[in-house]
This record gives sequence, C-alpha cells and structure tokens, in this order.
Amino acid sequence: MLARVANNLFWMGRYIERSEHMARYLNVNYFSSLDAPNQLSQSRQFVLRSMLFMVGDAEEDESVELNEDEVLQKIALDHECGYSIINNVKYARENANSARDLISTELYEAINKFYHFILNYPVDVFVKRGLYDFTINVTEMTAILRGKIRGTLLHDEVYAIIMMGINMERANQIIRIINAKYNDALKAQGSYGDKFSHSFEWSTLLKCAESYDMMRRFYKKTPTSITTLEFLILNPNCPRSIMNSLNQVYKHIRVLDPSKKYNKNSTAFLVGRVRSEYEYKYIEEIESNIKNFIDTLLKELIQISKKMEKEFFNY
Amino acid sequence: MYQEYSIKYSAKNRYETLVNDAYWQFLIIPEDNKSQQLVSWEFANSLNDIHQTSINGFGFKTIRVHPGQKFNEISFEASFTVIKKEVNPFDFSLPQDSTADCAKLDDLNFQIDFEPFLRKTRFTSLSESYTNIFPFDRDKTIFENIQSLNKWISKYLSFQPGVTDVNTPLDTIIKEKQGVCQDFTHLFCALARKNKVPARYVSGYLHQGHGYFGDSQMHAWAEAYIPDVGWLGFDPTNNLLANTNHVKVCHGKDYTDCSPLKGVVYAPGENTTIHSVKVLSEQQQ
Amino acid sequence: MVRSVENRYIKGKENSMDNLENQIFASYQRNPDLFDEIFDENGVVKDVYKTLFNLYGGHSIQDYVRLNEKAKSSFFNQGITFQVYGEKDAKEKIFPFDLFPRIIDTAEWDIIERGSIQRSRALNLFLWDIYHDKKILKQGIVPLELVSSSDNYLHQMMNVNPPGGIYNHISGTDVIKHTDGNYYVLEDNIRCPSGVSYVICNRTALKRALFGVFNHYQTHTVTNYAENLLDLLETVKPKGIDIPNTVVITPGMYNSAFYEHSYLAKTMGVELVEGRDLFVENDFVYMKTIQGPERVDVIYRRIDDLFIDPLEFRPDSALGVPGLFAAYKKGNVTLANAPGTGVADDKAVYTYMPEIIKYYLDEEPIIKNVHTYHCSRPDELKYVLEHISELVIKPVDEAGGYGISIGNRLSKEEVEEVKKQVAQNPRKYVAQPIMSLSVHPTYIDENESFEQRHIDLRTFTVLGKDREFVLKGGLTRVALKKGNLIVNSSQGGGSKDTWVLKD
Repeated sequence: MLARVANNLFWMGRYIERSEHMARYLNVNYFSSLDAPNQLSQSRQFVLRSMLFMVGDAEEDESVELNEDEVLQKIALDHECGYSIINNVKYARENANSARDLISTELYEAINKFYHFILNYPVDVFVKRGLYDFTINVTEMTAILRGKIRGTLLHDEVYAIIMMGINMERANQIIRIINAKYNDALKAQGSYGDKFSHSFEWSTLLKCAESYDMMRRFYKKTPTSITTLEFLILNPNCPRSIMNSLNQVYKHIRVLDPSKKYNKNSTAFLVGRVRSEYEYKYIEEIESNIKNFIDTLLKELIQISKKMEKEFFNY
Repeated sequence: MYQEYSIKYSAKNRYETLVNDAYWQFLIIPEDNKSQQLVSWEFANSLNDIHQTSINGFGFKTIRVHPGQKFNEISFEASFTVIKKEVNPFDFSLPQDSTADCAKLDDLNFQIDFEPFLRKTRFTSLSESYTNIFPFDRDKTIFENIQSLNKWISKYLSFQPGVTDVNTPLDTIIKEKQGVCQDFTHLFCALARKNKVPARYVSGYLHQGHGYFGDSQMHAWAEAYIPDVGWLGFDPTNNLLANTNHVKVCHGKDYTDCSPLKGVVYAPGENTTIHSVKVLSEQQQ
Repeated sequence: MVRSVENRYIKGKENSMDNLENQIFASYQRNPDLFDEIFDENGVVKDVYKTLFNLYGGHSIQDYVRLNEKAKSSFFNQGITFQVYGEKDAKEKIFPFDLFPRIIDTAEWDIIERGSIQRSRALNLFLWDIYHDKKILKQGIVPLELVSSSDNYLHQMMNVNPPGGIYNHISGTDVIKHTDGNYYVLEDNIRCPSGVSYVICNRTALKRALFGVFNHYQTHTVTNYAENLLDLLETVKPKGIDIPNTVVITPGMYNSAFYEHSYLAKTMGVELVEGRDLFVENDFVYMKTIQGPERVDVIYRRIDDLFIDPLEFRPDSALGVPGLFAAYKKGNVTLANAPGTGVADDKAVYTYMPEIIKYYLDEEPIIKNVHTYHCSRPDELKYVLEHISELVIKPVDEAGGYGISIGNRLSKEEVEEVKKQVAQNPRKYVAQPIMSLSVHPTYIDENESFEQRHIDLRTFTVLGKDREFVLKGGLTRVALKKGNLIVNSSQGGGSKDTWVLKD
C-alpha cells in the first residue's frame, strides 16, 4: 500500500472518531447541564467554556460573555473553523476519496452520505432546535461507518491502518474529555457541598464516553473520581478506555509489523511499552496527580504518532 | 597542440524555510567530442548525499542530487579536467556558387532533418517588426552570411550584465541593445533560423584569459549548421568562431534545453542561489 | 419497487406490443430534418428499437420521474461526480444519465469498431514515423508545419522506440451520425481520453433501474474494459520483467476525472498513485509504500505530457515525477500513452487522417472524416472568412469543447469577432461544415417528457503489442440543451447507456 494512501486512511479513521466524540460531548454536556444538581454546572457559560476547552480552543478570559449560538455553530458547522465537525467530516471524506480504490463501495457511500447530510444541515435549524438531532445523527452515522469498516473491508493492512487511526484518536479524545471534565469537576467543587471526588461531572464524563451504563453495572455504585477514572483509563474491557484503545493499536500495528525480533526503534515496540506501563498501574497513582498523568499520556501518544508517521507514512 | 583546463563549478542555495524534499539536476559536465576530451571529473555536495548520473532527453549526461534530509542550505562543487585540441575553425573550403549554396536551405528534406533547430521557441521568437532586421545576402555563401550575422550581433548589442534576466524576451533585448551571452546567442539563433539556417544554443565554459566577454558563470554561444561542412560554433558575444577557449557542455533549441541547474524544491518562501565558475588553463603544449 | 416495475414490463409487453401510440411518447416532437435514431422518416419505430419502445411505453411518465430521481441520487451517493472548470465555487456535479439507452446493431458496430482500430493503428504508425524517419513529411504528404508548430512534438522522443512500438495505447474516437445516415469521425483523442468509467456506470445504473429490459436484448458486456486494458498494458512491459507492476497515475483528487482514475485502478486491481508517491533512483521508478520502496514497471498516466517530469518538461509541474523521462528513455518503465503522443491529438492532424490512413495502411478510411478547411492555407482561409455562418470554427489545441463557435448561432457582432480572431491567428483554427448530429429520444427532467436531443459516440480503443481491443459499447453523449450540438460534460451534456447487440 502506498505510504500516502496509508496516511490518508489513518487520518480518515481519526477524523471519523473525532467527529463522534465532539458531537457527543456537545450533546451530553448541554443536555445534562439543563437539570444539573448545582448552579455552576447548570450555568450555560460554564458548559460553553467546557466545550471550547475540550476542542482545544479554551476561552481564557473569565470576563468574556460567550454567545451560545456562536459557540455551537463554531464547533459544529463552521466551514472557517479548522476543528469543526463539518470540517472533520469533510477531511474524512477527502481522505476516503483519495483511497477509494482500496475501500469498499459500501463504506465509501456511507461516508459520502454522511458528508452530504452534514453539508446540507441548515445552520439556523441547528442552533435553534437541532442540537439533539444533529449530534445524535453524527454519532449514529459514525457507528454505521465503524460497522461498514468492520463488516465490508478485508481485515488486512487497510483495515489495520484505519483501526489504528480510530483507536489512536479514541485514546486522544478520551484523554481530552477526561481533562475537560476533570477541569469542570475542580471548578464546580464546593458549591452546594459537592465534593470533587463525588462530583456530578463524573457521571457526565462517563456519558460523554458512552460508558455510564456499563460502569454502573460493573461497580454497582455512584461514580466517583476513582472509579470513573479506573474504568475509563485502566479497564481493558471498557471499549472506550485508554487501555483498550492502546491494546487495539498494538494489535493492529502487529499486522503491519509482524516481526518478532527485538527492535527498540520500531513503533510496535513503543506502543507495546506504553501499553504495558498502563496495564500494571494502580488507579491511586494516577488519581494522586491527574494533571501529570494527562500530560504524560498526551506526550506518549504524540510520540507514537510521530513514530508511525516516520515508519509507515513517509512519502 | 592542445590545452588542458581545470574547471570549477560551484553553486550555493539558501532557503528561507526548511526544505523537506528537493531534486536537482545539473547539466554541467563537458561533453566528449572531436575537439575536447573529458579527462576526469568530481562532484560533491555539502550534505554529503550521494549523487547519481543520468542521461537527459537530449542525450547529455546530467548529475542528480536528491537529499535524504531536511536542510536550509546546500552547496555543490564540481571540478572537471578537459583537454581541448587546437582545431582550425576555417579548415574547409567555401563553395564557389553561393546561390546554389543558399538553395540547399530551401530543400524540404534538409528542413525536416533540422526541424528542431529551425523552429521558433520561447526565447527565439521575434515579433513581426524585427523579422527583417538582418536579411541574408543570397549572393554570399551561407558561411559568409552567418559570419556577418555574428559580427553584426556583436556590434549591435553591448555586453551588459544585470540588465536582463532569463525571462527577458528577445524584443526587449533588441530594443534595449544590451544583454549577456545568453541574449546574444538567442538573437543569433533567432536570426539564423529566420534565414533558414539551423542554429542551436550551446552552453559551456569560456576560458577568459584573453579578455573575452563573459562573466563568472557559464557561457553561451551558438552553433550553426553549414551544409557540407557541419555544425560550426559562433560566439556572437565575442565576435569569434568557437575555439580552444570554448569548452562545450551541451546544446539545445534555446536556454530551456540547456539550463545548467534545474531543481524541484518543496519548500515555501524565498531562496537565493549563487553560482560561480572558474576556468584555469593548466598548461600549454 | 424494482420488482413491481418488472411486473409492469410484462404487462406492458402484452398490452401494447402493437400499440405505437404509447403514452410517454405522446408529446414527442419529431423534427423531420434531423436523423432520428429510433424513428424512420415516416415516424415508424425502427425494427431494432421496437421491443424497447414497447417496453418503455408500458410506463407512465411518473415512473420515469421517480426512476430518474433514484438514478440521480445513486450517482451522487456513489460519488460519481466531476467538477466543472471555470466556476468560482467549483461544485460537484453528476454527469446526467439518461434512462433511454441507445442501441447500435451488429452491422453498424462492425463499421465503428473496424474504423476505430484503423485510425488508432494509423495514428500509431504516424507517430512512429514522425519520431523516426519522417517519411510522410519528406514525401510531402503531411506538411512539416503540422508537427513543427506543435508544442507537443517532443524532440526528446526522437528515435526513441517505445516498448512494443506503441505510442497511443489508449484512444478515444468521437463519431457522429450525420443526416445522411453515415458515421463520421469528429475527433481522435489520444492524450488522456476520459469517459470510459461512465460507460460502465451507465450500464450499472440502467440495470439497477430497469433490469427487465435486458431480458429482451442480447447486449455485449462493457465491464471487461479494465481487464483488457491491464492485459494489453502488460504486453508492452519493459524488457526483462516477468510480471510487471502496473500503476495508474492521477493529478489528484481535485481533477475532474479523478473518479475515473480511481475506478480504473480499482477494477484493474493496481495502485492509484500521484506524482509524489513515486521517485526515481538510478533511472528506475519506485513507489513509496508502507513497506518501503517498490519498483514500478508500467504507468498508465492520466497526466499530460508536459507535466510528467519537471526536470525534463515544464519545471513548474508539481504533478510529475522528477527523473521519470530519463527512466522511460532508458527502457526501465513503460508510459501509456507514450510521451509525445499529443502531437497527433490535434485538430489539424485530424484533417489529414484520410491521407495518413492511406499512406500507412493503404486503405480508405472506414469511418469518414468531416471535410476540414485549414485556416493556415490562404485560399481556405478566404473561404472560411466568407462562409463563417455555414461553418463550425474550432481552435486546434483546445479540449473539452472550449472555444468552439458555431457559425449559424452567432450574432453579427460575434461573427465579426470570430473573423478577427481567425484572421489574426489562422494556424490556430480549422473550420468544418456544420454537421447535424443524429438525435435520440431523451428524458428531459424539467419538462418531464421525452424529447429529441443530439448525440455522439466516443469509442475506446486499446492498442497492445500485436493485439487490440475496442470496448463494445462506448459513451453516447447527449446535448441536453435543446438544439445544442456540443455534447461535452463540461458544456452541459449528459450520457446514455449504449448497447452493442450480439449477432
């Protein structure tokens, strides 16, 4: 496979996954804030700031009054905004376009339909009453895409590369979401006796990762900082956990690099190393310094990405 | 009698932003022909990347460099040792019947065989108003006509570096009456071809030891095809026939076919290139 | 839904076999001055179309409205789209597809197929000659001017022997049927003729919409193009290669024909590359894969000659591969079509086709040439300037229907303007009598009815070493605007599925 096309497929996977997490973050935060137990969590400004923080465009100036319509439009449907969902889907489609000789017609058509759905979504409808409909459609369509990827592609290099993209992005997005909600929980603590470890924001965090129900089933208790983080970071059976994402990346990179030889310079080696590190971690170690954990993991993910680029996507 | 030259070519490229990828092709190796012999050559670049040689579309040997690393600056050094034989450019007899001589130019087969060197190209096109600026005298032989063209251009244009560049059209050069060796040569080719004489652009090195015009870069002159004689070199910049001081690299329809350095560089921003050429006469025997 | 349509066919067949007054053609207006492909001069349906006519007659116009919508959205969802040049916001468009197929019977197809091969062979011999001995020029049959004034006459190709002796591996021949009922060639496209993917997409779309109609006709398949193309390209592989590694090179996904490039790569099962995916080392071509460099032996290029190698041709080309030409010249890679082929894809060369065919093959043209006036010849220029209103004026070096003026459609001012342009630069123009393209019933969206529209046909011929292949079908293009004679997709044309019948 061409290195350039591999790179495009990798990014196709990433953009699909990214748009899903962004859409869900908008949805969950907006709607759970409507009846949140404390005033700050209910505040619209608080929610909008959290959204901007999550997409990496935080508004640092506390005095700025954010405009809801503007923020929502910017994140979802703004053509001019590089990180907007519409641009993510556009890039995903462009990447698919350049590799359409390698992917199935079914997958291509699903991406194409997805793109046309978003492209034709009226902005005024979206900001006035379409937030739920739009975000739910985005998350459902990405689920369809994942189904088409799994169900219609040959499980070979092409598949492995797309899955690497999806899982790299998932790890990235989950850590971003953890970061954003951790930040919210810090800010929201204290009001109405809401403690950090029992913050309402942990439930929201789990919902943002579509993991709330299963977490409840697993722990049978109200989410706390410890249980939430343990579930989302370390539980290998939680499909959205960092651990599972790293396991998936490792599994798929093995398809591209089946070598059993000791090679400390290979990407597979690095992924394996990072993966094993988290496999045997205590959640207490992480919880005691979350900030540090987030920074380290982000750095490690960047390192993996760079290595992949050099090893496989060099063109 | 022969003369040995040592030629040094160097180029230094500097880029504003880091260059991700680049390809260069140098057309600077002196050719082996009847009057010159390439004894040895060397090439090196400051990044110590391996170079390759190839043959370009016109059959001349090129050097290619494709660096395997990112860089801001790169320099190239080449050196050549060439032995130039002393040839008498006038070593042929002029035809008796100049009308018959000139008539050879009207022959269709002749025009077909020499089509590449009779066509108008980007650098050898003249606007209507200048096409008759130097009509041939059919009472003279082709060689005599070409010689007077050579002389006429050397008088008509004055050698003036820095006023023209590679993209200056011929019309401007005629109007301004100045230019460098390239411009002299393009005008020569244009007017020779206009009068049906095949002419080609020659790129090479000039030994400037005799006060010839040129500069510290590669030189350009022309070759015209004289029926029954062959290709003869004319240096309109110096009003000369090409001689032992001219070391030929290649020829083509115009500068485009001969440009010494072609590059494809993937980097935004400005760049500067400095070339220099030194031709030293090593010994005379 | 499709199943119910199928049932209707059977019903329709029983009920209206002999009833020519069928509903959907009730409003069909037949202009007796034009050659209609399905109705004869008395308005009677021609034999070969009878069954089809009756089958279609079993539908209501509402069925077509619905089927047409479905076909459109299917093309859109499949991303079978192109971008039109010259628009500020280049939007994606589908190439409009017409549900009523065109039928070519065995006898007519035989002429077209033999004629297409004859032209491709003759052009190939012409190219070999002008890059070698130039006999046709020396014997004065074709003027030297014709090649010497062309930028596509590449001196770098002089005395180069392309593998297998083939220059124009892929040719697209545009033919029309005139009012006299004869086929004429309008153009030979041998640079990067496109459209073949639409032939196959049209067939697929028609099958999806109305598969029942295929039960009543024995139609040649069109899906075997890619395998034949690959086979024939492999016959011209470089020396010493057993199983060549073939690729398709595209200018990229923003090119208007990108869909076709990816379609061809996909169906041939080869990589679709861009210039930046390839590099040349020691005069061998490699592509950059995730497992490192991999050698490439045959390149089907969809990039124009002058853009293939910035070190040899246009230095500003970002589409090409530095060093590719030297690798080609050394015989280490095959390019299809060969560089320098473009010189014969010239409207001025076209006008000499009868002479070229005669000279190399000692045959008469099987498909006629449209008589052409060369504006470069003073007497013909004079005729053209005096008869502009009866002629089509074409620039010799523009593709895609750009710059064409049709004399009887011009206002007085426009006539003067065209005259001025032609007189200023006569070499740039040729003129031909206005040919009346045959017409075919075509479903017109905005009027919700079938109407007469002009059509042409592009055939696709592939030349290999000692073998050739003509796709039994071709692209029938329709000028959707009423009375319009220009069928190019960039000028608002559509297309039809084209059936070549088996014996």
